[in-house]
Amino acid sequence: MNAVLSPFVQSMHAAAQAARLPGSGIGWLDQARAEALRAFLGRGLPDTRNELWKYTALRTLERRAFAPADPDAATRTLDIDALAPGTRGAARIVFVNGAFRADLSRLDGLPGGVTLAPLSRELAERPEPLRFLLGSRQRDDDAFAWLNLALASDGVILRVAPGVRADPPVHVIHAGADAGGEIAWHARSLIEVGEGARLDLVEHHVGGGAQGHFADLVCEVMLHPRAGLDWTVLQHAAGAMTLLRRSDAQLHDDARLTLHALELGGRLARHEIRATLAGDRARFHGRGAFVLRDRQHGDTELLVEHRGRDTVSDAMWRGVADGRARGVFHGSITVAQGADGADANLSNKNLLLSRSAEIDTRPVLEIHADEVKAAHGATVGQLDENVLFYLRSRGIPEAAARRMLVRAFCAEALAGIEPRLRERCDALLAAVLPGEVLP
Amino acid sequence: MATRPGEIEAALSRRYAAGFVTDIESDSLPPGLNEDAIRALSARKQEPAWMTEWRLAAYRHWLTMAPPRWAKLRLAPIDFQAISYYSAPKNRPQSLDEVDPRLLETYEKLGVPLHERARLAGVAVDAVFDSVSVANTAREELAKVGVIFCSMSEAIREHGELVRQYLGSVVPRGDNFFAALNSAVFSDGSFVFIPKGVRCPMELSTYFRINAGHTGQFERTLIIAEEGAYVSYLEGCTAPMRDENQLHAAVVELVALERAHIKYSTVQNWYPGDEHGRGGIYNFVTKRGDCRGNDSRISWTQVETGSAITWKYPSCILRGDRSVGEFHSVALTHHWQQADTGTKMIHVGRDTKSKIVSKGISAGHGQNSYRGLVKVEAGAENARNHTRCDSLLIGKHCGAHTFPYIEVKNPTAIVEHEATTSRISDDQMFYCRSRGIGEEDAVSMIVDGFCRQVFRELPMEFAVEAKKLLEVSLEGAIG
Repeated sequence: MNAVLSPFVQSMHAAAQAARLPGSGIGWLDQARAEALRAFLGRGLPDTRNELWKYTALRTLERRAFAPADPDAATRTLDIDALAPGTRGAARIVFVNGAFRADLSRLDGLPGGVTLAPLSRELAERPEPLRFLLGSRQRDDDAFAWLNLALASDGVILRVAPGVRADPPVHVIHAGADAGGEIAWHARSLIEVGEGARLDLVEHHVGGGAQGHFADLVCEVMLHPRAGLDWTVLQHAAGAMTLLRRSDAQLHDDARLTLHALELGGRLARHEIRATLAGDRARFHGRGAFVLRDRQHGDTELLVEHRGRDTVSDAMWRGVADGRARGVFHGSITVAQGADGADANLSNKNLLLSRSAEIDTRPVLEIHADEVKAAHGATVGQLDENVLFYLRSRGIPEAAARRMLVRAFCAEALAGIEPRLRERCDALLAAVLPGEVLP
Repeated sequence: MATRPGEIEAALSRRYAAGFVTDIESDSLPPGLNEDAIRALSARKQEPAWMTEWRLAAYRHWLTMAPPRWAKLRLAPIDFQAISYYSAPKNRPQSLDEVDPRLLETYEKLGVPLHERARLAGVAVDAVFDSVSVANTAREELAKVGVIFCSMSEAIREHGELVRQYLGSVVPRGDNFFAALNSAVFSDGSFVFIPKGVRCPMELSTYFRINAGHTGQFERTLIIAEEGAYVSYLEGCTAPMRDENQLHAAVVELVALERAHIKYSTVQNWYPGDEHGRGGIYNFVTKRGDCRGNDSRISWTQVETGSAITWKYPSCILRGDRSVGEFHSVALTHHWQQADTGTKMIHVGRDTKSKIVSKGISAGHGQNSYRGLVKVEAGAENARNHTRCDSLLIGKHCGAHTFPYIEVKNPTAIVEHEATTSRISDDQMFYCRSRGIGEEDAVSMIVDGFCRQVFRELPMEFAVEAKKLLEVSLEGAIG
């Protein structure tokens, strides 16, 4: 432990002591939370000597203190339909500044076999099945995951019963709103798709207002044999926000996870995705793009582990950094001993658009089995001047041409998204790209 | 600067007349590392005061450091106090009859000439006579064009100013744990100075430097190529070296001034330990080249087949405009060997280029990691890098890993990295076998093809030896 606790750690410590979290009073939960808090305090924030945080320094965050919660989170008015268009009338669960909002959510009308509820309510009504999620069973060194366990006050519990096809998509919306000060929230979610079931999930991170909140989100995804999950993440949180997310997905035999992620918002936005292909023939298909500008710092950590036999992973990420932004990508593929027949592919291409921007990319392969096909590639470059010249020679102004090319660059990673969502992605992308909009 | 041929020659002959070799053999220091040991070591090497102070400063810095733990290596902690920092091998065999027959068998397979076998096996120097004349002929030829090629100890005594100017200018004393240790206690190594405009008339090799086989466990090499100079330097040799020191921590510094080109080739074949992972050399090497002048060029080529532990990242700092850095590597791990090796290319100047080709082969329980950094600084306009890492897995229990780091701060840079991991496919084997090629031959053929891109960069006779070396090292990997 640091000799003197930093303002950040102090504020979290104070929050834990003052908090009255849902489910407190339940013995195993209190114990797990206390243990998690001790683990967090003992570790402090990771520094850049930690390989997973090598390019994301938390010195600035360390000096900041956050209020434990927004007391008015339940009553803040926020136009969710405008922030997440297309979700009106659909099944959706909304959190404002970390708190569940029944008035904005729509939890009914789901197909039979699909249950969607906030963690706070589940803890009040039937905490026992969550023991697995919240019991202290973490073995790793992730300080924020411990912090999350100690302080998570809400989150999503979404379950799909075996054999059920849950169409149309379920939307999870995390919204930030002005709270008169900087606050912190911690959400812990569970997505469980039963044997042979299917789920379409869209996760939105939206921001109203300009407060520099801190959010620490952990999501566990359990895909039972032959389960399929299509998961789209649209992250356009408020520009001053610090958003740290970690998603852990476990894939059993023949399970399939398709992830599409578009990361646009936040001052510091990090997403750590861990996909464990535990079962035979499990498949992970990941596509993502981040577009960063101004002083944004974006960090994507994609850690895929092949454990079962004949597993497949295929990931492609595109990164764009403009202004004084810094884009970090770390893609790591591990093929464990005995994971024969693994086929792993990872590609990360980046565009550096400004003199003051920076891209750090790290595609890692760790292979412990021999019947394996694994490949990765990474590039950093800029827009092709010849293509730019071609467009300009056809009368397209330079700024518009650049914009067009950047959009096309990102489009490749978003190609597989279902058309309506795809339009939404395009619109979000268009809003952040520099230059004129073509008529 | 003592660069006039006459002076050099005089210096060179003095060393041999003094019978320096015998001097070393006669004494050694008790195990343990402290300031007194370093002073004693420096005194015995008759070093000037500045050198002693330099070593002590490095030692004091080393005390504040901890061994690096980031590499993907599993090794027991090293007791640095258990090592004698100045000793000559005592129990040298007096003739080849006393040498381990298995070692001789390997020499036979590699086709090492008879007189070389004795030297490699560490037979006492006075029993080896042939190479002396070879060395002297080479020295004369080099002296004619003003090239200085001598041992580091000699350079410190005879060319003190040059050494003082450049030593530690590429790898600073406190650069990393093992470099600091080396700076404090380095035993010997090579010093090469190629004056302005000179193209070194021959490939310099440790072969030609008498006594090079006993540079000790903390080797220090410094190569300086002045404006427009060219040198190709070969380190090590394909034959296994007998050595009783388990820890090796070497430092190699290259300085290329304007338009200079340094080509550094290594074949590393220290004792890898037996098939159960017992014994074997721990090899921690810091190699770095500084392309200090515009249009300079440094190429590293390495074939790493030996050592139980290899920790080595030959790097290039591309400071001069239009400078070029290259890294070609074949690393093979068999049985229980572990290698964590790669390179760093730091682009600082404008229009700088770098190329990385790394081939890793893992067999048995071997663990092979490529770890590389490509960094483009903000001022490095139009920097280019291409990296290619391929790994080949032979067997169920080995591992092949790739850890590339790419950091780009300039929007005009183009950096490309690609890597693949695969095994020798059944199809390839079947094709060869169906044409009557035996299993081992087929494997060595495929491995040779896999490594060809790197072997091409080696000087010719080295390349032939390297190919044979891989064959020998992979024996028993199949089946």
